[in-house]
Amino acid sequence: DIDDVGHKYYLELELEDVLDKDRTVKCTAEVLYHLGSKASAPDVQLTVQGELRSTEEADKEFYNRIRSLEKELVAENIPDSHGNVPPALEPIHLLAWVASGYVTWQNSTENTKFHLAQVKHVKQVKRSDEDLQFDYVLLLHEMVSQEVLPWEVTVLWHPQRGARVSQCQGPGAGN
Amino acid sequence: HQVLHIVPETLQQVQHIQVLCSTLMLDLWKPLLPEDIRAGLDLHIRVPAPLVQEVKDSLDQHMISYRYILIPDVQKLVDQSMPRERSSHRQVAGGYVYTEYHPMEEIYQWMTQIQKSNSELVTQHFLGKTFENRTMYYLQISQPSNKPKKIIWMDCGIHAREWISPAFCQWFVKEILQNYKSDPKISRFLQNLDLYVLPVLNIDGYIYSWEEDRLWRKSRSPYENGTCYGTDLNRNFNSSWGSVGVSFNCSSDVFCGLGPESEPETRAVAQFIKSKKSDILCYLTIHSYGQLILTPYGSTTKPPSNNEELMQVATEAAAALTGKYGTSYRVGSTALILYSNSGSSRDWAHTIGIPLSYTFELRDEGTYGFVLPADQIQPTCEETM
Repeated sequence: DIDDVGHKYYLELELEDVLDKDRTVKCTAEVLYHLGSKASAPDVQLTVQGELRSTEEADKEFYNRIRSLEKELVAENIPDSHGNVPPALEPIHLLAWVASGYVTWQNSTENTKFHLAQVKHVKQVKRSDEDLQFDYVLLLHEMVSQEVLPWEVTVLWHPQRGARVSQCQGPGAGN
Repeated sequence: HQVLHIVPETLQQVQHIQVLCSTLMLDLWKPLLPEDIRAGLDLHIRVPAPLVQEVKDSLDQHMISYRYILIPDVQKLVDQSMPRERSSHRQVAGGYVYTEYHPMEEIYQWMTQIQKSNSELVTQHFLGKTFENRTMYYLQISQPSNKPKKIIWMDCGIHAREWISPAFCQWFVKEILQNYKSDPKISRFLQNLDLYVLPVLNIDGYIYSWEEDRLWRKSRSPYENGTCYGTDLNRNFNSSWGSVGVSFNCSSDVFCGLGPESEPETRAVAQFIKSKKSDILCYLTIHSYGQLILTPYGSTTKPPSNNEELMQVATEAAAALTGKYGTSYRVGSTALILYSNSGSSRDWAHTIGIPLSYTFELRDEGTYGFVLPADQIQPTCEETM
């Protein structure tokens, strides 16, 4: 407890590589949840102790594959109702996870627990610069309220520059 | 196991073999269906090791001669036989694919078939009707005996999107029926206990999750003039109803209904369990996801009177589960390790006097969440078994 500021958590984590289950990396993190209901994202400091494996080749292959598509990629329901993800869409699924991490970070309090439930929709948008752009509708499940709500997230990705969220909009103002 | 070659000589012998095949659930290789067994025609039956003696004794008793086939190439023999995939005549497990998710129509058919093929042990019973007027059935697995037996109740699918839950109930029934003669643990169980299994509690919601919205959770009763649907059935029971962890707004996924037991599905279950409560030892309700074994209560952190016993049993269960594939489960009361809630079926079962009352949250921990891939059905069910 930090008076007048908030609650700080010190974490020791072990990350597991989804694509290489035997590979783990240790991390430490400090997370500060701010006091009050100002709805601001917690502050996060992360230190990775060790090296993340190089994904250069796979990144290049994915980048070239998407860039060379004649028609923009469009997909829905990843995974499908039975939990299947077509192999060609695996990278899109993984990128969605990254994006959902951003949404989770921006919307977490000490009383929320988010998971990506499903990618409802994804549409590639061709750009004149070198980034790939994917407009996602992500369904995030929040454990305490049990709600599954759609988030519209625009993700830019580049082999060297990595992933960035350029736009993020929460469940519809309409209803 | 052994493959017996028999040529029945009379109609009586044919009939005896047919009875033997269905009561012991033997694997017919040739012909495939019991009704195709004929006097004078070659019959090949695969007999699992634990049943060999019993089968031989029975054949001897009826003066039916047999010999053993040595199978040099089992695969070839298998390939020669017709595709056995979806034959609805097969017994217990044959034909029904337990490693896939099934829509409600198929689950209804499965229940009928299970009772038909295992009528000495299984009876299907009417429990009640859902809001959309669908019939709720439970299966009673009970070995005939002259001594009164205690009951273990298990329900699945109270939340529509948790597909692994009904898949587990079906798997569970199959496992019991397939192994009760050969597995000493299971046969001892059934000597002293009756099992009551409700494979899908929230049928309307389950169907809706197949046809309209895979991530639907609640029932399908309409509120506010049909502009809003569904009650969270696991907030609708009469245990501190409406006090915590709920919403009174119909559009919420934890809407607790207009009052305790306001929903027909809740009433159907509650009525039945109340009527049998003095005989029910254990109430189990299966959910996903989270990998948890949850004990009462959700509405308060004050422990139940038999907390030590509840925790001990749950801890042993979690250890056994982890022992299978290393899947780790956490154990504790909902209020302490998950969140606060009220009106849950598990809490209600405990408050009316059922001593052992547990919620299982099956795989996984959020990677796939509700859309658990079908290839995880088998390991999930095996470890939970």
